[in-house]
Amino acid sequence: MSRAPAILAGTFALTLGISLPLALAVRDMLQAHLGNSLMAGAALRGANYEWWQEFTAQATALGTTFVPSIIGFGAVLLNLSNLLDNVPLLTTVAGVTGAWLVLWSFLSGGILDRFARDRATRGRGFFGACGAHFPAIARLGLIALAIYVFLFGWLHPLLFNTLYPGVTHEVVVERSAFAIRAGFYAVFVGALVAVNVIVDYARIRIVVEDRRSAIGALLAGTRFVRRNLGAAVGLYLLNGILFLAAIAFYALVAPGATRPAWLALVLGETYIVLRHFLKLTFYASETALFQTRLAHASYTASPPVEWPESPAAEAITNLSPTFTP
Amino acid sequence: MAVLQRLCALVGLLILFGVNTPLDGARGGPAADQARSPRNASYNISARLNPATRTIQGEAALGWRNITAHPADSLRFHLYYNAWRDARSTWMRERALSSASPPADELPRRADEWGAIDIQWMALGRGSDAQGDVTTQLRFIAPDDGNPDDRTVVELPLASPVAPGQSVTLSYRWTAHVPRTFARTGAIDNYFFIAQWFPKIGVLEDAGWNCHQFHSSTEFFSDFGVYDVRLTTPAGWLVGATGTERDVTKETDGAQTHHFVQEDVHDFAWTTSPRYVERTAHFEHPGLPPVAMRLLLQPEHLDQADRHFAATRAALGDYGEWFGPYPYGHITIVDPAWQSGAGGMEYPTLFTAGTRWIAPKGVTTPEGVTIHEAGHQFWYGIVATNEFEDAWMDEGFNTFSTARVIEHVYEPNFYAQRYFGGFVPWVFKDLKLSREVDGDRLTSYRSAARQDAQATPTYRYWPPTAGAITYNKTALWLHTLERHLGWPTLQRVMSTYFQRYAFKHPKPGDFFAVANEVSGQDLTWYFDQVYRGSQTFDYGVDQFRSEAVGNTFHTTVAARRYGDGVFPVDVQVTYEDGQQSRWTWDGRDRWKLFQAEGASRAVSVEVDPRRVLVLDVNRTNNSATLKPDGARAARKWSLRWMIWLQDQLLTYGFFI
Repeated sequence: MSRAPAILAGTFALTLGISLPLALAVRDMLQAHLGNSLMAGAALRGANYEWWQEFTAQATALGTTFVPSIIGFGAVLLNLSNLLDNVPLLTTVAGVTGAWLVLWSFLSGGILDRFARDRATRGRGFFGACGAHFPAIARLGLIALAIYVFLFGWLHPLLFNTLYPGVTHEVVVERSAFAIRAGFYAVFVGALVAVNVIVDYARIRIVVEDRRSAIGALLAGTRFVRRNLGAAVGLYLLNGILFLAAIAFYALVAPGATRPAWLALVLGETYIVLRHFLKLTFYASETALFQTRLAHASYTASPPVEWPESPAAEAITNLSPTFTP
Repeated sequence: MAVLQRLCALVGLLILFGVNTPLDGARGGPAADQARSPRNASYNISARLNPATRTIQGEAALGWRNITAHPADSLRFHLYYNAWRDARSTWMRERALSSASPPADELPRRADEWGAIDIQWMALGRGSDAQGDVTTQLRFIAPDDGNPDDRTVVELPLASPVAPGQSVTLSYRWTAHVPRTFARTGAIDNYFFIAQWFPKIGVLEDAGWNCHQFHSSTEFFSDFGVYDVRLTTPAGWLVGATGTERDVTKETDGAQTHHFVQEDVHDFAWTTSPRYVERTAHFEHPGLPPVAMRLLLQPEHLDQADRHFAATRAALGDYGEWFGPYPYGHITIVDPAWQSGAGGMEYPTLFTAGTRWIAPKGVTTPEGVTIHEAGHQFWYGIVATNEFEDAWMDEGFNTFSTARVIEHVYEPNFYAQRYFGGFVPWVFKDLKLSREVDGDRLTSYRSAARQDAQATPTYRYWPPTAGAITYNKTALWLHTLERHLGWPTLQRVMSTYFQRYAFKHPKPGDFFAVANEVSGQDLTWYFDQVYRGSQTFDYGVDQFRSEAVGNTFHTTVAARRYGDGVFPVDVQVTYEDGQQSRWTWDGRDRWKLFQAEGASRAVSVEVDPRRVLVLDVNRTNNSATLKPDGARAARKWSLRWMIWLQDQLLTYGFFI
């Protein structure tokens, strides 16, 4: 990961580039509402809650997402909470999120290819890998989407709209209710993680072994996780801990309303870069694990005539520096 | 035979409750000449709670005196629990209008989670002319909406009217099935909060009975009296109730009977649970009578006992200084169980607060609700307005008063938001809540302002916005009046009103008359708008220019009245050299032009710069500057918003 800074820069730029147009739209809404009012001065110096209430009262569409929770660490809590509580996204935000996920899926082929080869692939090679693997990754994404729709559309309501109210119906101690809810969160997140880890290794297999079948990759990913359960789960937990450490760090430094705009931007974007770094590290570590425990090393290592197109073979080379074809 | 049985039962009840004793001389109470109130509706009640079946078996003797100038040819009673007998009651129908979907804790209900109250037997006795069993003469009526399925009011026609000044005694038995909590009364697990649980007589006025059906957006109205109540509960269960506990006796079956007495109150509520932890403290304040405070706390909130006591002290102290002393000498604070739905409710000498397991300091939970409900001892408990028709008179006054206490004692307090199912709070230390914005009163009022004129009887308010008109509009117009008259004047208005109408049932006109009298002003123009009308107030700057003309600057301000409400406002211009010009505008015209010549260029203009008109629904348009910061502020906040969006993308992208 550390040897591929361009990927970090690129994915960050992608997120920034997708977010910026909406941020400009929000800026225009805020500016139109503030006008030349003296309220703007207070909003500039800190958080003018009174103006915020007035803005919210007349806001529509994207403007309704401009809520006090976006300040500092509240933004992280809001997003995590909305995800775990399955709060529907505003259509515009959902659309942007969907577009970002599609683009990320497209890039993931090149990213994994780059990590698997562990050498610079340059732009042509990177985007070539993106294009080559995208059809299979897209098919895999559709399967994953169907599973996630099931999890959010059936499992979540079952857990939180049916079972949780039933289990806590006569609970009169809040911390008991919270413990129960935390248990349901654990079940739901566990299901998400189970799907996620299998889909991750399926995607890696598509890239590393240059497969075309999404279903085959999914089955292979499942087999890989089953055969390497401890390592796969341990690695997931390790990355999960790093993620928690990152948001804990952000909780300490997250800019409040009174910080200068430039400092808030620097701190906030540094956190966003860190999140990208961790996500890419996650990809890289999973790819490395897959490569060190290749399920079909003999198959992917040959035929030699395809050399060096198979990233798996490159990985074997990297693992065995004395080997020469 | 049945008649004989009933007669025997009547005699037994009369002996048991001693209803032949003078009503004002209830056991343990002060003599009638020490009474603070008319004491014309006094109760002797004996009730037993069966937790397993969630039922209360009760027996009561009611002494009622006609204090109007007209004879009463019938008696009317509230049977509040029948609002939850089924979904066809007026309360339930109105509740369905309040929101698109019912609150999660209300529906769907299991059959045993509904409530009901049934009078099983009633006998009328007036001196030696007892008429005996009148149960069969009871009939349900629906005076407000004619709903034949509503059983929250029952009428008893009288063969011979009760003349003015005369008393009547009634004895009755009833069964109440305690619901899973509706309207902050009910049960969950082994937690019981019991209010509006007995057949309660309405209020007879010169115009007739004021005994409304139970409505979803209103509360209660009763006459003052002496309550002498014996409550039998399982042994080991703590009991809190209106009044003071005189004694506890052990029953033969192991249960315990708690005997509570309270004079000069107009309701009686109680609570019991084996899980309560009891704490006590005292309120002492120069110039005010001491008050013994009893706190019934949930075990998980033990670390918040001092916060409850401190908030209650703040309320008793500030309300006592501003309006008048709390006279009862004792108060019970109830910390309701999680999910009980009983939090934030007032009853005489007892109230429910409400807090959370995680309650960070700097946020007014539990302080806000504790102050508010303690404050209701004054605005509701002592000044006993009609909550069916004029709920704003206690809720609004109390919301206003609560905000003053919080400003006085708890500023700064901060905006907080809860996440993950509402369990995990996060405090935004950059968002300090001033009195103008705390409680989101203006936000709530803004969207509801035109829904109802406040003078409409509360039970006829549009249910979804009744709270905003009742609580928030009143608090805002009182706050505006405070800034218009000055707090010393408004404080004298409110304290005069409080002392003049303590232990009475004042009407809106009584307060308006006191306000005019004490302030020395005719404020009818104001009350016509905020009480009798539904006008909104919105003043703003339409145009603002400052142009060089030779060696001077010509400054022009066009102020505009965007709303239909009229209020006098100042218009203030600030110049580059720091000088200011100020004009006073009566605010009547739709717009008014202000012009000035000066040596310095104007920088900014503000309509109502001292923020007198707290009711102004759009404060952003009240000012303009020739050096605007709008673009920079918008950039600052949109960049923060962008970080939120980026984090959102990564959060939802975590699983791909």
